[in-house]
Amino acid sequence: MTAQVQLSIQNLTKRYKTGDGVSGISLDIAHGELVTLLGPSGCGKTTVLRSVGGFLEPDSGDIQIAGKSVLHLPPEKRPTAMVFQSYNLWPHMTVYENLAFGLKIRRQSKEQIREAVDRALRLVRLPGSEKKRPGELSGGQQQRVAVARALLLEPAVLLLDEPFSALDAKLRSELREELREIQSAAKLTMMFVTHDQEEALSLSDRIIVMNRGNIEQSASPQEIYDAPQSLFVANFIGRMNMLNGTADEGCIRLNHLELSNPKELRGEVVVAVRPEDIRWNDASLPGLAAVVKQVMILGHYAEITLLTEAGLVRMFLPREESGQLSGGQSVSLTFTKLTAYSKSSI
Amino acid sequence: MSGQGLSPSLETRKPLKSTWNSRGVKHSALGLLMVIPSFLLLLFMIVVPIVTSIQESLTGNDGQFTRDNYKYLFTDPAMKANIMYTLNLTVVSSVSVLVIAYLLAVFLRFSTGKLAKWIEKLYYIPMFIPSVIATYGIINMYGNHGWLARIMLHFTDAPFMKVLYDYKGLLLANLWFNIPFAAMLLSSALSGIPNAVIESAKDIGAGKIQIFFRIIFPLSFKSMLVAATFVVMGVIGSFTAPFLIGPNAPQVLGVAMQQQFSVYFETGIASACAVFMFAICSLVGYFYIRNMMKEER
Repeated sequence: MTAQVQLSIQNLTKRYKTGDGVSGISLDIAHGELVTLLGPSGCGKTTVLRSVGGFLEPDSGDIQIAGKSVLHLPPEKRPTAMVFQSYNLWPHMTVYENLAFGLKIRRQSKEQIREAVDRALRLVRLPGSEKKRPGELSGGQQQRVAVARALLLEPAVLLLDEPFSALDAKLRSELREELREIQSAAKLTMMFVTHDQEEALSLSDRIIVMNRGNIEQSASPQEIYDAPQSLFVANFIGRMNMLNGTADEGCIRLNHLELSNPKELRGEVVVAVRPEDIRWNDASLPGLAAVVKQVMILGHYAEITLLTEAGLVRMFLPREESGQLSGGQSVSLTFTKLTAYSKSSI
Repeated sequence: MSGQGLSPSLETRKPLKSTWNSRGVKHSALGLLMVIPSFLLLLFMIVVPIVTSIQESLTGNDGQFTRDNYKYLFTDPAMKANIMYTLNLTVVSSVSVLVIAYLLAVFLRFSTGKLAKWIEKLYYIPMFIPSVIATYGIINMYGNHGWLARIMLHFTDAPFMKVLYDYKGLLLANLWFNIPFAAMLLSSALSGIPNAVIESAKDIGAGKIQIFFRIIFPLSFKSMLVAATFVVMGVIGSFTAPFLIGPNAPQVLGVAMQQQFSVYFETGIASACAVFMFAICSLVGYFYIRNMMKEER
């Protein structure tokens, strides 16, 4: 990465009394990069985000923004701005006052504030709503105002804590697109927390998958999807078939099917194959022997459930192609792409 | 009343309508019957006495119409002093109660320490102590031979300052009687302000003072008005404590009114006094209702 590092977290550890928390988290976010922290609830992603925002005091480690440690600064002195899950607008102020508050604190002139608020409202597509109170706006509009409020402060790092999870699916994808547009236009550095993998895959420059307070993998959405580094990531992101096999020198065996073994694993292994990476052939051809159990049409594609020698397998096919298969039919399966994990690593 | 059950065919319209009507009459009769007790209570306990007092306050000893009672109320030096004394005590007590109760509520809302926990458990106890008993408690504590005087005697021979039968004693009693309720109202208002809203203010750069004056105070202002109304009403109409530990002159209006009525048998002046107090309270009530309506709009 050639871009300048904007946010750097080094060896961050924060443990709660309950034993939950994060330990030894280190990550760098480049200027203008949108990084998503993704993981199941309780994995510590929000802990990392809130530590950066200053709302939590880490037990150890350092947080640097543009090369300067911000660890000793309270939230109000940090060059970060946060968009909260529950919007957290101030109900007694109008939209204009909500947006202007931060600028007033920064002692900007009235004209400057008016101009900046106008610009921000146009950016989040809510011009003309200055005089409304948050209670008069819908959830999506409130979150737009909250995004505008954060953007107005021109933060060095924008933090988003599951900002769209309280909204319905359609609105969520709409806001996601808008946010991405704003982010890339303004070259904002953003740290986005979500438990929604679809959101993470569609939005991010880079995804950091977290589990039980540790980083499992940090890579581009493409890489996370195609080459999950651990069984957890493989399981968490997208749909995956998990098949038990054995590995020895040169190859992995799934019953009679021999697969390549680039990682040179030994002993018991788990083979992970995406449903769209499975191809079927006539039963007479070599491959994993299987019997079709069920064909389900799911819109533009079909999900085929097959019973193989190695267990249940799900396969995605284009809808037209699925017409050639029917329940009880014997086929032979091959994989175009797969990842294997040693069982002892679990 | 809705038009339910009013979809009859043409032939049956008349009988149906009449049964519906009789049912409607029954319903409204039942409704009236349920309202009557409270209406009568309101009529005989509030409306009639107010009318009678107004009437009485405008009637002289000879039974003729006169404004002398009010003239006396506002010109007699002793009575004027009583009024000023009551208003002064009300304003000072109410402001002190609200300030102390608000500080207490803020402390309870934001402190996580043990002290806050204990105060939270104990602060409303005064509300459960009858005012007569509490007043005698105050006498026991601050009287000439009370606990404080006796303890102070170990350190100094100087006479203990005069608390009872003085402004200070009444102020103290008003604080005791009104702080718990005001603090309860205010702390429920403050606990209704989510931490998240305060966090977002911190996030955009607001310091503690700005958060207090721009977020916390405005969001609890409505409850502050409610508390202020209740405290003012309670203080202005207080009787037990002023009667037992108040000074002889000037007196609080409640006590003065009682004296005019039961000692001097001046029913006209006592009534004028009552009407005046009621007018002040109505004024407070008017501001309260106006503010509530403004908030709702």
